[in-house]
Amino acid sequence: MARVKRGVTAHAKHKKVYKITKGFSGRRKNTIRAAKAAADKAGQYAFRDRKRKKRTFRALWIQRLNAAVRPFGMTYSVFINGLSKSGITVDRKVLSDLAIHEPAAFQAIAEKAKAALAA
Amino acid sequence: MATFSAKPAEVTKKWVLIDATGLVVGRLATLVAMRLRGKHLPTYTPHVDCGDNVIIINASKVVLTGRKRDQKVYYNHTGFIGGIKERTAKSILEGRFPERVVEKAIERMIPRGPLGRVQLGNLRVYAGAEHPHEAQQPETIDIGALNRKNKRAA
Repeated sequence: MARVKRGVTAHAKHKKVYKITKGFSGRRKNTIRAAKAAADKAGQYAFRDRKRKKRTFRALWIQRLNAAVRPFGMTYSVFINGLSKSGITVDRKVLSDLAIHEPAAFQAIAEKAKAALAA
Repeated sequence: MATFSAKPAEVTKKWVLIDATGLVVGRLATLVAMRLRGKHLPTYTPHVDCGDNVIIINASKVVLTGRKRDQKVYYNHTGFIGGIKERTAKSILEGRFPERVVEKAIERMIPRGPLGRVQLGNLRVYAGAEHPHEAQQPETIDIGALNRKNKRAA
């Protein structure tokens, strides 16, 4: 039987790890022991943060909306209350995008929300 | 649809001028900190310096409520053993650099970090009524008119 040398398979295995840890700092990018642990941990963080991403973005939209509605004399919570009373069901992502790119449309929504509160 | 993210190269920073005469320190500082960070903008981006440049004049004429002018203590440490020093707000306001009361209040309201240090660099505080930023044509903001509690007779 042909002789199998260990180095070739070992190198092929290591290559997979180094592909993930490319760009990491220090020994974590090129020493197999440190790189393996770093790659494992990176995967765990990525899994966790794919879920957290939804929360952080919602938080950012809310911060932006809070800034956007204050010129109309409302805070975020008052604004959302007015929206629900006026029956407008536009989500926060679209609302914050409107506030940036379509200020006129956003103003119309804000005034509707305000009117619903007064009624 | 991707959420908007401001790019450092595309951010246009406004210049804002505030006259601090008779304003309450903490109330002034919260509004300035908010503007420095850009949290008053619908385009606020947490990792980008997207706030305004803020100029504060007459910073020596700010007001502290209650007995804080005499009782509020600022500490610093010289680095030597037992080298902690303390000064009251009054002694700083009447000393060589009265603008430090306002500067410190704002600094402590901005998150510490690389971005926080940059944003703090967009703040210019002057004890007197003059400032060298006429060329930037700053927009004047009357903070005293926003809320009746913002202003106090000294």
